[in-house]
Amino acid sequence: MSQLHWYLLVAVLLFCIGLYGLVQRRSLIAMLIALELMLAAISLNVVAITSLAGGDAESATGNVSSAGQVVAVILIGVAAAEGAIALSLFVAIQREVQSINVEDLSELKG
Amino acid sequence: MTGPTLAALLAQFAPLAACAVVLVALRGRPRTAAALAIAGMAVSFAASAWLVAAVAVPGRSFLAQTVFLPVDQAHSLAFGVLLDTLSTTMALVVSAVTLAVMVYSTGYMAGDPGFARYYGFLALFGWAMQGLVLSANLLQTLAFWELVGLASFLLIGFWFERAAPAAAARKAFIMTRVGDVGFLLGVLLLIRTLGLATIPDVIAAAAPGGALTGRTIAVAAALLLMGVIGKSAQGPLFTWLPDAMEGPTPVSALLHSATMVAAGVYLVARLHPLFLAAPDVMRGLLWLAIATALATATMAMVATDIKRVLAYSTISQLAYMLMGLAAGSVTAGYFHLVTHAGFKALLFLSAGIFIHHAHSNDMREIAGRDPRAQRAGAIGLVAGSAALAGVIPFAGYFSKEAILGAVGAHGTTLVLALAYAGAALTAYYSFRMVFLTLMPAGAGATEAGGAHGGHGGTGAPAHRRTPGERAMGVTVLVLAALTLVLGYLGPWLGVRLLPGEAVREPFELGTGALVALALVAAGIGLAWIEFGRAGAPRIGFLERVPALARFCGDNWYLDRLYRATVVRWAAALARAAQWNDRTVVDGATDGVANGTVGGGRLLALVQNGNVQAYLTVAALLLAALAYALGRVAVAP
Repeated sequence: MSQLHWYLLVAVLLFCIGLYGLVQRRSLIAMLIALELMLAAISLNVVAITSLAGGDAESATGNVSSAGQVVAVILIGVAAAEGAIALSLFVAIQREVQSINVEDLSELKG
Repeated sequence: MTGPTLAALLAQFAPLAACAVVLVALRGRPRTAAALAIAGMAVSFAASAWLVAAVAVPGRSFLAQTVFLPVDQAHSLAFGVLLDTLSTTMALVVSAVTLAVMVYSTGYMAGDPGFARYYGFLALFGWAMQGLVLSANLLQTLAFWELVGLASFLLIGFWFERAAPAAAARKAFIMTRVGDVGFLLGVLLLIRTLGLATIPDVIAAAAPGGALTGRTIAVAAALLLMGVIGKSAQGPLFTWLPDAMEGPTPVSALLHSATMVAAGVYLVARLHPLFLAAPDVMRGLLWLAIATALATATMAMVATDIKRVLAYSTISQLAYMLMGLAAGSVTAGYFHLVTHAGFKALLFLSAGIFIHHAHSNDMREIAGRDPRAQRAGAIGLVAGSAALAGVIPFAGYFSKEAILGAVGAHGTTLVLALAYAGAALTAYYSFRMVFLTLMPAGAGATEAGGAHGGHGGTGAPAHRRTPGERAMGVTVLVLAALTLVLGYLGPWLGVRLLPGEAVREPFELGTGALVALALVAAGIGLAWIEFGRAGAPRIGFLERVPALARFCGDNWYLDRLYRATVVRWAAALARAAQWNDRTVVDGATDGVANGTVGGGRLLALVQNGNVQAYLTVAALLLAALAYALGRVAVAP
């Protein structure tokens, strides 16, 4: 098992934990945290694959590419922005319905 | 566009415009509506009069037609006008009678809640009939033929909130519809053979060596005659006309003289060469007309409702017109149509005066209400009946004489004898009506006089005539004067309708005329003995036999026969169709609707509003997609 596989395994674990949390937790904030875990798993994947599995690493220069790191940094920025928007939404929801439990937020029931 | 075309369009569309404006905008303003309808009809009348003058030269005619929808090479839909003496004089008669009825109705229908609607329908009737009369091709004729039927349906059922008029309107519509099926088929047959069935083309094609074979002509003539029989209330399809008396009396006057029933006879006159080219069909028509004339004459002899007497007399006189046409003389048949339009309108309008006054259609009741105080009505009734019976200086004499002459020249002695018998019966029943209406019965007279004295101030003498009632009287007097004039039109018409035909002088008293006059005198004499003279029994010879009286008073049991057979079968069919509709068709539709609703309910369970459930589904689907893509990627 190569070095890359370990990274991917960790990423899968992180992703599954995040997914489990997203589906299982009833608090919106807990779900947001779980979502961040999943994003982190993806960042890890990107960095690991670009650094270790070649990609453009096998380009003419033979240098390890830093493109993966750039994407990871952008993802962190996206996650921060997303967190800010989501949290402000949660505050608004809390003011409106006095709850941030997703089970209380089912007005669009068919 | 030339002058005649323009005038013809004006004659048609002035009533239509009046009708549209009245029905759309003037429902709440009866006086304006009546004025507008009368104005529209007066324009139509003036235009028709101009048209008569424009084509008065023998042998002159106009045909203007415009194709507005080509269908294929040979066929197209076209509208146009055909102007010759036949169509223009008929248009003049139609507009004159409609105008008279409209003026008269200002009094008769005064205060009716549907007054404006009534005038709208009258204008519609005028338009439909003018369109039919002036139409240039058979498809156009068919369209207006149906419009005439619609207008009469609306007017017969004018008081539709009561059961009897509504039923009478339905009966009229459906019964004429039976004949119209044949008419439609006949028109389609001619259109298929001739393409655009312009009336002169049809006539030319029916001539020897024309485009139509003898068989086609016979079939087309027979089919067209079915429509004529329905519309003109002949033979087995006449029973709608007596029932149509449920409409307002002026409507009956219109329906019976110049419109509706006249349409059938007019059509035969219009396409007369085509019908003449089918001699077997014409022989059948002759016998049918004779049978109808005699049968309805017996019915008129026992009826006690003045309007029913007139209705039966209309059927009988229409049969005379068809007799004249079937015997080969277009002049005789059409001449009788014109004179009949005048005196039958007169008779109905006079009867309307009595009915308006006595609030009853029963002749014996009218007799008890001082009928002779209605001077205009009495004059009109006597003049009209004299014309109907064929007394010499009145219009009916000349035209009936022409018909009897034509039948004599064409038919066998038996046919002629039957036609003469019919003339005698006509004289008998028309004067039975006069005597029953105008002569107070021996016992009834004193009774009525006593009642009159009792009423005192509220009685008729204190009654001041309203302008509307004066209009009724004036209309009747004008028409009564016309019955004395119309009879001299015969030679004028004859020269223009069929150039070359021998023209009879009005006062040419041959053997035939003398026999007819003697028979008429005998009929009137019998009526005088039975109904007129002081101490008369006031019971006719037919009424003395109860079985015969019942038989004749009930349309010869024809209605019972129809109810027992055709109507019952149709009702059974209707019930089956209703079951099919309720159970099968509605069932299928309901099933689809219920299935949709149920499916929706079921599917709505999926959308439970829980974000996490959606997420789970999304994640599972993505996983499945990833698995599938992975397999594809690995496979090669």
